[in-house]
Amino acid sequence: MSSPFLIAAGGQVGEGFFRERSSGTLPCQAQASHLFCWDWARENIDRYGTPTVQHLEIVVLSVLIGFVIAFALALLAHRRRQLQPPLLAATGVLYTIPSIAFFFLLLPVTGFGRDTAVIVLAAYTLQIIYRNTLLGLANVPASVKDAARGMGFTERQILWKVELPLAIPEIIAGLRVAVVSTIAIATLVVLISAGGLGTEMYGSNLNFPTAIIIAAAIVVLMALAFDLALLTTQRFLTPWRRARPL
Amino acid sequence: MPSGETEAQSQSGASSVRYEETTKQYPGASAPAVEKLTLEVPAGEICVLVGPSGCGKTTAMRMVNRTVEISSGDVLVGERSVRDREPAQLRREIGYVIQQIGLFPHRTISENIGAVPELLGWKRDRIRARSAELLQLIGLDPELGDRYPAQLSGGQQQRVGVARALAADPLVMLMDEPFGAIDPINRERLQNEFLRLQAEIRKTVLFVTHDIDEAIKMGDRIAVMREGGRVEQYATPAELLMAPANEFVEDFVGADRALKRLALMRVGDINLWEAPLAHVGQATGEVRAKLAAPEVEIPYPLLVDSERRPLGWLSERDLDGETVPGRADSPLGPVLDRDDVMRDALADLLQGESQYAPVVDHRGRIAGVLSVEIIAEFLASPEAKSDEHPAVERPHE
Amino acid sequence: MSSSLPLASVGGAIEFIFTPQESNVTGGKKVGGFDKSAELLVGHLEVTLLALALALIVALPIGLYLGHKGKGELLAVGIGNAGRAIPELAVIALVASLIGVGTRNVAPALALLGIAPIIVNAYVGVRQVDPATVQAARGMGMSELGIIRKVELPLAIPTVMGGVRGAALVIIATATIAPLAGVETLGDFILNRNVYGENGLLAGAILVALLALTIEGLLALLQNRLTSDGLKLKTG
Repeated sequence: MSSPFLIAAGGQVGEGFFRERSSGTLPCQAQASHLFCWDWARENIDRYGTPTVQHLEIVVLSVLIGFVIAFALALLAHRRRQLQPPLLAATGVLYTIPSIAFFFLLLPVTGFGRDTAVIVLAAYTLQIIYRNTLLGLANVPASVKDAARGMGFTERQILWKVELPLAIPEIIAGLRVAVVSTIAIATLVVLISAGGLGTEMYGSNLNFPTAIIIAAAIVVLMALAFDLALLTTQRFLTPWRRARPL
Repeated sequence: MPSGETEAQSQSGASSVRYEETTKQYPGASAPAVEKLTLEVPAGEICVLVGPSGCGKTTAMRMVNRTVEISSGDVLVGERSVRDREPAQLRREIGYVIQQIGLFPHRTISENIGAVPELLGWKRDRIRARSAELLQLIGLDPELGDRYPAQLSGGQQQRVGVARALAADPLVMLMDEPFGAIDPINRERLQNEFLRLQAEIRKTVLFVTHDIDEAIKMGDRIAVMREGGRVEQYATPAELLMAPANEFVEDFVGADRALKRLALMRVGDINLWEAPLAHVGQATGEVRAKLAAPEVEIPYPLLVDSERRPLGWLSERDLDGETVPGRADSPLGPVLDRDDVMRDALADLLQGESQYAPVVDHRGRIAGVLSVEIIAEFLASPEAKSDEHPAVERPHE
Repeated sequence: MSSSLPLASVGGAIEFIFTPQESNVTGGKKVGGFDKSAELLVGHLEVTLLALALALIVALPIGLYLGHKGKGELLAVGIGNAGRAIPELAVIALVASLIGVGTRNVAPALALLGIAPIIVNAYVGVRQVDPATVQAARGMGMSELGIIRKVELPLAIPTVMGGVRGAALVIIATATIAPLAGVETLGDFILNRNVYGENGLLAGAILVALLALTIEGLLALLQNRLTSDGLKLKTG
């Protein structure tokens, strides 16, 4: 093995660490490959508070920034067709580079901590939001735009009053994917000292399934909650899609 | 609203439209799409631009509201050049109806109708009132105002399209094959209804179609066009049918010109026969008495409801009982509208294999009965044969 | 940072990839260099390709079949959504602590991550094939399997390949942290900074990025080759 240091060190430190904090009875993690230790879970659930908040902050910040940039780019590309291929390629590259690698590529520039995390995570969301926004705008029927123009809407009015409302479902669909992905990937920011729920999956916890499972469960629940919230928002914003033919 | 020039404007706020050597040349094209078009449409009239595909009729229409920019020459709406104004401003004063309808899917019917008023800054109450008014005008249930376009049929949607175009009381209406995407039955109804509407509001309308029959039915004046927007003849429907200017017009109008003249007449124009009417629950004795009367033209009683709307033809069996039953044995067959053109009515009669067809007014109430015999009688009469047939009277109510 | 090397620079990183450098931690022993880089690259590719193959073998037929039948939309889309929400770090950590270390244990876990995008894209890709085309084929007497192979799959290629590319990406990314579970991949340079130094760190990041871009590019080319010309005309 090439990394004996890490695992051995982690294991030794881990055992000692946990033995100290146990409540006196035989800690269940002392038993070999115990999957889930309910006692420990009950006792230690509070420690997940801060990481969860950190995680949320990073995710919200990243998605917000990513959305604003991607949305602006999409509006630009909608107006000027020739920008579409290069923008698609650029956002594609940012999406393809694995976030882990990206964190460390930025290290010399922005160092450790939240800034790097947010930049990388925001960059990751660009492609999906950009593509979906463009797609939503492109799916507006030509006849609707023709009618709007002929009735006297200015180009700007057509964009904000006709095209964008009709593009909402696609835009939010892209946002949902972006949010869910970002919540999952943000677990990695622990590697650049930016906190988050990844802290409970790393380091001393590497050999302790209970902690990892709890952290993972929080991540998944968070993703589910956001997904549902966005879906509900979309349904609320688009009453015409629910209308049944008479 | 433009200045009050009485020549250019009719009472209800419609303007004339004048093309002055209007030309559209697309870059790279070998010939102009529309070349030096010169045409005058008097205020309050329907001018139909008709011609084969690609002749430039749609392009010509679109130059009025500058959805196609004019290369050279000018278009004057109410004696004011369209090039004078900002396109968006100009278009808010011109009604625009297109074939694919193009209602905003994300807005209710009321909101769709009120789209231009909203752009013009009308107060919300005024917009709502106007939407309701127009819904009634186009014959739709006011309840539909809160529905979305997807919930309406194609015919209903296009009615909303017309209402939307009328909302801000435009000077001119542009209609590009507006009924082209509607099924034939509803298309007829929409055409009739629009003509009824026009009788009331008298807008200046530029109507584009490739269908000569529609042109004859709808137009006060027709411009027959060929490639390059060249007008081969600009005349009333009667003139077009009786004195086509050249071979192109003759060919385009079609070999059945004589039959087409039937299109110049409406069902309501001639004397219809009367059928003895029977109301639901009426004593059958009364009905029999009516049937027995010597001057009766039709030997079958027509069952009608309390609104005098036809329900069916009664047979001998139906009159067996004491009172007239609620349902008739024989179905109605084709029901004609007083405003239907005679040609369509004849077609319906022949297709329905019916001897008689009830004729109703725009509220569905019985107005008479038509038969092939009546049509034949009329065609044989000296009145029909006269060349000075006053054919272009539009129906009033 | 206990490293005799100055702050990382791109030049330094590139040097690191090709020539072994001195390092404090291992008592002056040299680290990095071409051999080591290649070794880790191979390790990375090994686990990636293994996982991808596993994912394809499992997910592709299921996804295509479900799409063909038109059943299980909720399942397919649900798996797709759920797959996106799974944190990679947790997967690696759990594998390490519960199952064991090494490529043989990690590859299936990575495959699991790749199953989600492949299934949902295969399903959607087949579903959006024009039913009229399928009807015509059935009417011509084609067997169900034949229809999948000759009609639905070719028409679904762009979407399906999109799913494969997505799977490849998540697998490559997760393989980067696989050293935590004892698999020697390029992530080693990144995760063991104290051994490999700043330059090693940057080198690892660069190599991973390049690997991902290359594989993505190759798959894009493959997609291009596999997409019939008629289809390209339509969507192009």
